[in-house]
Amino acid sequence: MVDENKLREKAKEVIARDDVRRLIGWKRGTYGFESAPIVLTDASEVDQLIFDPTCVQNPASFVSLEEKLPVPRGQEPDTRKVAVLVKGCDSRAIVQQLVEKAYDRDKIVVLGVPCTGVVDRRKAQKMFGVTSAPVEIKEEGDKYVLTIDGETKEAPKKELVADKCLRCRFPNPLVYDELVWDEVAKWADDDFADVDEFEKMSPEEKWKFWDEQFSKCIRCYSCRNVCPMCYCVECVVQKLKPQWTRRSTDISENSVYHIQRAWHLSGRCIECGECERVCPVDIPITKLNRKMTRDVMAMFEYEPGVDVEAEPLLACYNPQDPEEYIM
Amino acid sequence: MGDYKFAKDKLAEVIGALKDYQVFAPTAVGDVVRFKEVEDASAIKLDYANSNVPPKELMFPETETLFKYRVGGADIESAVTEPKPRLVFGIRPCDALAYTIVDKLYNWDFPDPYYQERRDGSVLFGMACAEPAANCFCTSMGGGPASEKGLDALMFDLGETVYVKTLTDKGDKAAKAMGLDAAGDAEKKAAEAVEKDALAKIKRSLDTEGIPEKLPSLYDHPFWEQFSDRCLSCGICTFLCPTCHCFDIQDEQEGFDGRRARMWDTCMFSEYTVHTSGHNPRPTRKERTRNRISHKYSYFPEKFDVIACVGCGRCINYCPVNIDILDILEKSKQAEVKEAKA
Amino acid sequence: MSEEFEPNIVAFLCNWCSYAGADLAGTSRMRYLPNIKIIRVMCSGRVNPLFMVNALQQGADGVLISGCHPGDCHYLEGNFYARRRFMLMRKLLEHVGVDPGRVNMSWVSASEGAKFKEVIDETVAKAKEAGPMEQFRRRQINW
Repeated sequence: MVDENKLREKAKEVIARDDVRRLIGWKRGTYGFESAPIVLTDASEVDQLIFDPTCVQNPASFVSLEEKLPVPRGQEPDTRKVAVLVKGCDSRAIVQQLVEKAYDRDKIVVLGVPCTGVVDRRKAQKMFGVTSAPVEIKEEGDKYVLTIDGETKEAPKKELVADKCLRCRFPNPLVYDELVWDEVAKWADDDFADVDEFEKMSPEEKWKFWDEQFSKCIRCYSCRNVCPMCYCVECVVQKLKPQWTRRSTDISENSVYHIQRAWHLSGRCIECGECERVCPVDIPITKLNRKMTRDVMAMFEYEPGVDVEAEPLLACYNPQDPEEYIM
Repeated sequence: MGDYKFAKDKLAEVIGALKDYQVFAPTAVGDVVRFKEVEDASAIKLDYANSNVPPKELMFPETETLFKYRVGGADIESAVTEPKPRLVFGIRPCDALAYTIVDKLYNWDFPDPYYQERRDGSVLFGMACAEPAANCFCTSMGGGPASEKGLDALMFDLGETVYVKTLTDKGDKAAKAMGLDAAGDAEKKAAEAVEKDALAKIKRSLDTEGIPEKLPSLYDHPFWEQFSDRCLSCGICTFLCPTCHCFDIQDEQEGFDGRRARMWDTCMFSEYTVHTSGHNPRPTRKERTRNRISHKYSYFPEKFDVIACVGCGRCINYCPVNIDILDILEKSKQAEVKEAKA
Repeated sequence: MSEEFEPNIVAFLCNWCSYAGADLAGTSRMRYLPNIKIIRVMCSGRVNPLFMVNALQQGADGVLISGCHPGDCHYLEGNFYARRRFMLMRKLLEHVGVDPGRVNMSWVSASEGAKFKEVIDETVAKAKEAGPMEQFRRRQINW
């Protein structure tokens, strides 16, 4: 497991630099199995940083989330860099954002944190209940040791770890200026068996499934806002002139919202799984995105968030692209 | 009022007896608990902490038609109708208290007929909390696990029996319609014990003294950035808050028929305050976070004498980035007000 | 209902090849099914796949995008991009449970009036088989 002290040292070095304006990492949450993203501006705040299996959020989302307001006359914009701590899956977001030229590479300082998996809060809450006091989790071999309300408890890692970690192909950051710890060995692979399973259903069964799921949606847009790849200043669902999607929450508009979002993420989704984690009504959003990820790999041999030199999927083409079904 | 009881395994009969009411109760689909119309009483889940989506969706639905029109026509068809009387079974005291807070706003300068007809036509049968959740702080906000505010009847889960204490005529009428047996002192004592236990289990609290007055003075204070820096500007805290009540009105048209509908809106979205000119007075998450907290804990109480929060804890439970309202308010109490600018 | 279901098809035709091909089919007096409503775009690469979804939402039972043959695009590459987008959107809609016969693409050049007729006939036949579009159609739900 990552030594938090080493992490804090590295972070302190970076935030103390003259050319770094802020550092984004994780800190202990206020209750239960939570951690919270934190934005530091000063080296004195570095002691709040942690890294343990509760650090599920993706700090890469916050790089583009920062609003750029017009600078008052006479003032110069602050062009210092933003430093960010990222796990393996989070680093794919940075790679993909660089591929899409969301910002220049020299505008960020990436501190890579090799990750051995994060805890799924729902599973942990089911096993241990929700406590008011924050919980500490340490990883020891193939089990987690948790300190809950002063008592020490243990649980096998595979029962608490998030589903996405069980098929993690990139535990080590793919882009970094410095690694805060040693790289870890890959322990899992992804065969997209869940997508294959779903494809066996008939169209009627598929629609019945999605009808039920999309009907639950309350259009809170948490899935969109937490997604590191959804960084459009004005999202298509916000547009009023013309209006693409109405704001009413019936099956028609909800379906189109989810289809539209999965479409905009095809070839861009880096599978951090945050969308599904944050949904308050448990819509299995990654089921949509994983289908697109699998098909993009199969049809175009393309994987987002892996190669900084790659071009965005839909900004390039191959004259030999597949064209079944085209008359 | 009256004291009644019924055996928990007779729940289906009790609900079935309510033929003159449209009954809504918490139903679970997977892990998600929401208030839905009861078709099958076995789907009712009474031992839940709190529903994911608050029962405000029963009083002001997420999408609601205000009126319908026909292009070229002269009249509009109002959507205010006389629905069947409704009974909300198993609502938590915090959510019922939330209705009383929202009532003040929806009846402030203009009585909202759509909201009011649902409110007037609903009988609220609350279920006292035996197991408050980790982030509940209702006792700090004027409520409690067995608070009677806003309810027509309050039920206590005593294990195999449910004790029902009716608080209003409407509640009594419904209890009689359900055909409940009379309860005795044993049930009343057991209910008191449930309440006492529950009160002891509430872990989080907040002293709200001075907060409504202090918050406006912190308008320029940088402490807001601690929280707004990680806010995603999603709508979860507002959509799942039982006292949040903002809405947007949109006209929709299908061919020659159209409707004016209102749907939930949230001050956390950037487009909430976008002006027609394109200017946005709350362009960043700092302004919006500050506005939301100040509205709930300062501007609303200034107008209506009650803080627009019932301590249900949903915003804390569901915020993806652990922005904790109690944390914010505690820090606001500690924040030092800077010298006023000349 | 003795009337047979007649699908509504929305067709996005690129100005230079497919639209000209459609014109040729018309001037040659070839009879093709009248179910289509044509929207002329300058290039098939201009078509945002969300147009297809929107069309299905607003009453279309089928959609067609038609452009120049790959390699012959008037703007050189537009149809290559369109091809990628269409393939992905079709897969996504199939995943959600929409009959794949509703979303179609074709390459019709300006001299292929006969092919245009066949493309239309096939598109209409597929949409007829798929039936009226109900799934996420806007239809005054809960008004």
